[in-house]
Amino acid sequence: MKIGIVFGVVWATRKVKEIDGCRMYLVQPVSSDDRIVDEPLVVADPKRIAAPGDKVVYVTSTDASQAFDSGFAPVNASIVELVDVIA
Amino acid sequence: MFLAKVKKRVVSTIKHEAYDGKIVYVVQPVMPDGTEYGNEWVAVDYIGAGINDIVVCGGAPGVAKSVFKIDLAPIRTLIIAVVDKIDYKDY
Repeated sequence: MKIGIVFGVVWATRKVKEIDGCRMYLVQPVSSDDRIVDEPLVVADPKRIAAPGDKVVYVTSTDASQAFDSGFAPVNASIVELVDVIA
Repeated sequence: MFLAKVKKRVVSTIKHEAYDGKIVYVVQPVMPDGTEYGNEWVAVDYIGAGINDIVVCGGAPGVAKSVFKIDLAPIRTLIIAVVDKIDYKDY
């Protein structure tokens, strides 16, 4: 899993049915001391955890679909935690 | 798997239910001699590691499901061992 900052929202009316009702955010990966570390990516938020501006933990690859209640969604990044503090 | 140093703890109130009751750390990959490389990862503790421990992190799709005995586990990286000592020769 990795840390990122939600800095935008991706809106899409037409999308695969598995991700209906699920927000998609633009996330900038950061280090624990807020340095930018990678390219931004689009991350699904099946549990409605985050909002723009939040720091989150997201999970990638095959595990991302595990964040959905169905256990199956064609995504490769999902938000799993809203970060309160890193100490 | 990779060697890493436990750096910080991630504290979170709102999270996926698979993460309830689990301790989550920021880990920094390190070489056997302790030099850091690459970017940080976030890992779920499975054995009771502490800050500044050198640990082995690993995991694969679906592993967390069987480890924590839950149906859905969006968990990628687990801390699976605390390193006591590393014997190695430079190549």
